[in-house]
Amino acid sequence: MTPIMNPATPAAFCLSLVILSLAGLALALMARRARLWCAGRPVPVEWARGLRALPKRYLVDVHHVVGRDPYAARMHALAAGGLLGGSGLALLALIPALGGARLYWALIALAFAGALAGGVMVGRRRYPARPARLSGGRFQILPLLLTFYAAGGFLVAFDAALGGALPALAWPALALAIAGGLGLVLQIDRGPMRHAFAGAAHLVVHPRPGRFEGERATALAPLDLDAPRLGVATPADFAFNRLVGFDACIQCGRCETACPAFAAGQPLNPKRLIQDLAAALQPNATNATYKGSPYPNARAVAGIGGPDLPLVGAGAMIHPDTLWSCTTCRACVEECPMMIEHVDAIIDLRRHQTLELGALPAKASPPLMELRYADEPGGRALAARTDFAAGLTLPLILATGRADVLLWLGEGAYELRYGRTLRALVTLLQMAGVDFAVLGPEERDCGDLARRLGDEATFQRLAAENIATLARYSFSRILTADPHALHALRNEYRAFGGAYEVIHHTAFLDGLLAGGRLTVGALHEARVTYHDPCYLGRYNGEIDAPRRLLDRLGLARLEMERAGKRSMCCGGGGGAPVSDIEGERRIPDIRMAQAAATGAGIVAVACPQCSAMLDGVTGERPEVHDIAELVLMAVEAGSAKAARKDAAGKDVAGKDAARKDAARPPEPVA
Amino acid sequence: MKIAILFSAGRHAASGRPAPVPVELQAIRLARELIGQAAGDAAGDAAGDLSGDAPGVITGFHAGPDAGPLKDALGHGLSRLVQLSIGAQDDPLPSLAAALGAERFDLVLAGRSGQGGEDAGLLPYALARALGLPIVADACALAAGPQPGTLSLEQALPRGARRRLILRLPALITVHPAAPAPLPFAFAAMRRGMLETREGVPAPRAAGEVEERAYRARPKLIAKSAAGASATERLKAATEAASSGGRLLVDPSPEDAAREILAHLRQIGVLRH
Repeated sequence: MTPIMNPATPAAFCLSLVILSLAGLALALMARRARLWCAGRPVPVEWARGLRALPKRYLVDVHHVVGRDPYAARMHALAAGGLLGGSGLALLALIPALGGARLYWALIALAFAGALAGGVMVGRRRYPARPARLSGGRFQILPLLLTFYAAGGFLVAFDAALGGALPALAWPALALAIAGGLGLVLQIDRGPMRHAFAGAAHLVVHPRPGRFEGERATALAPLDLDAPRLGVATPADFAFNRLVGFDACIQCGRCETACPAFAAGQPLNPKRLIQDLAAALQPNATNATYKGSPYPNARAVAGIGGPDLPLVGAGAMIHPDTLWSCTTCRACVEECPMMIEHVDAIIDLRRHQTLELGALPAKASPPLMELRYADEPGGRALAARTDFAAGLTLPLILATGRADVLLWLGEGAYELRYGRTLRALVTLLQMAGVDFAVLGPEERDCGDLARRLGDEATFQRLAAENIATLARYSFSRILTADPHALHALRNEYRAFGGAYEVIHHTAFLDGLLAGGRLTVGALHEARVTYHDPCYLGRYNGEIDAPRRLLDRLGLARLEMERAGKRSMCCGGGGGAPVSDIEGERRIPDIRMAQAAATGAGIVAVACPQCSAMLDGVTGERPEVHDIAELVLMAVEAGSAKAARKDAAGKDVAGKDAARKDAARPPEPVA
Repeated sequence: MKIAILFSAGRHAASGRPAPVPVELQAIRLARELIGQAAGDAAGDAAGDLSGDAPGVITGFHAGPDAGPLKDALGHGLSRLVQLSIGAQDDPLPSLAAALGAERFDLVLAGRSGQGGEDAGLLPYALARALGLPIVADACALAAGPQPGTLSLEQALPRGARRRLILRLPALITVHPAAPAPLPFAFAAMRRGMLETREGVPAPRAAGEVEERAYRARPKLIAKSAAGASATERLKAATEAASSGGRLLVDPSPEDAAREILAHLRQIGVLRH
């Protein structure tokens, strides 16, 4: 036997064997957990495509989210990279040609040194004080296990790299590595290490693969209304890849800090919800092992479950109030580094509550009943939808059968406040000479409210009837000021055979201004902050057009801390205003405080829900204006300026007048 | 206890589309809660759980050419709906009287008044006479009576007043909109519910006997003040009609106001001490 074929040191050889046996144990534990996933409903999954895309999904998409917290990104890169790299290399050292090379062991030592640094960073994040969003319990001992294993591995490898110069250190170090490694492997079943393999599996079988290919992929999946059981009652009713997703949760708590209902003290914590769903997969499950922040003002539940036991109810894992607190704003989904789809889970659970049990919050039921018999959640006549436009000429598409742009008015048209916005928009369209028309009494509700409240039957009926109506007319685009209608028409009607080009009024007005079809004067000295509607920004990725439009108006634009795709919800989505679950604060008050903190005098909105929620905030606060109203103000300021310029013939006077105009508090438009 | 609920062919007030009449859906909830109490359950539990129901205990009846959206009543907690098939112009009374007379129901619930046409609120009275049952109008709560075979009901009177009556069954009771809201609709319960179609009794009516008009919300009658009286007198009449006793205090101190409110509540019997 040549010396090179010998293991570098006996301790190093033992380390490799220990890792081999730990890997075997880990595989067994993973298999045990993966068998539980088989309780879920089978769904077609493109395994090959998922497996091929796994490295990219992990290294690009996941790290794009993780990297929003640079400390966490460095910590995870070191800990995970060092742990997997060091262990993998040490395992390969069982090949005599590698195991005998001191240089190879130096490489292993380097990897374990990285893991050690990562482990120390994990510890520094959790000690001495653990941030509220992180979970305790098994998670709190994770840094110890990590550092033990990494330090042990490092010392053994370092000794081997030196050719066995430190034998007194190597054997205790091996013991340390065994202790830490065993602890880590035992955490695979129920502890934090589960996220590693469940997370990888989740990336392979992800229910929305489009998310990794640049799509927003935010439309809800249609429900088969002929299925024997509608919605999700037990963990076994979830598709298996949803169950994998719940297990992928690492309890980092980013969702909980983003959740508007959590901030408002309503009994929803997305992290806890996912943990309850994951825990319920175990036979004879309890929710007792969870050691993170609770549901705020948690309603009492028994906290027991199992694969075939109900999930929702006072005698189960999740209180119904938790489900109905969600505004479906997707902030949790946007923040989740494990790409978990919280909102899909909530809607699946709501569908069962609504369709099977009729267990809605008391105030959410009447709007759905009106939708069934009047196609309108307020029970108002469809012909009254155009009442806001009294005095304006609003062409009906019925008269001509065609128009370039079909203006979808949406639910806000019935509301006095939002009627002003729509009047501004209609006035602007007429000024720009746009060929547009409305459906008038033929426009039914788009079904967004019904769908978010779990009433898929009503949504599907409304979608089918709206699609049939739209098929009778010819138009090139649908224009709407309501992002909820935009999302339904653009993304969710597709599954029912309705494919339309739908454009939001902010993008449309931006186009009109860019094309010179509208000329604006500057609204000087007004400081404005833009509140992104969830259904426009996060659901549809449209965050630039509204900002570009505001900039064209010559406004000083200030950004809130949470803006763009990470914006905070106004509290108006998902039927939350009609569900009306009690909390400590109101979501719009929180959001308005964030807007006021920028020092802006105007909050620009682009959604009837946001408009209603934010305009309902009492006390001293910035004005709320839809972007269409601001554009009309600017257009009127521009034409006033031009008129004065003609009259006075002096540019200076015109500028002064325009400045005076802008200094006035904004008035109701039209 | 066997309960029958009558369903009329309603129309939605704004859309004019066929729709169940809300007060008849409220009747389902009253019936379910009554059965739930009798079964010894907590009333809320029995009402909230649409999946567990005693079939055949509560039966809905509709006489008309088509059940249409009335089958949605099955989603609001009714487990069985019987449609008595008659022509559009037929009088529903003979069909309902025959069907209800054949089975012995302890309690028949009906809406208070319909939304136009023949379901104008007369039918329950005609039916009670045909069946020989006592009729009580405007119930807003039902409970088991002190003796077996009796029913305790709360009758809604104008301006929020309530009167408790004890009634010997069988009886026919009409339900007032002040009763608890209908149970939320459950699509799957509607799908599961039983819709039974039977031949009704043909009873053609002479054409032109009934004038049919679309439903319209009637304006509230404010006061009976004489036409031509002065504005002050009309105002006085209107405010007095709305206040039924008590005193008008202008800008009182909070203590005085509270004292006056308590005194009034004692006077009308809402507060007892």
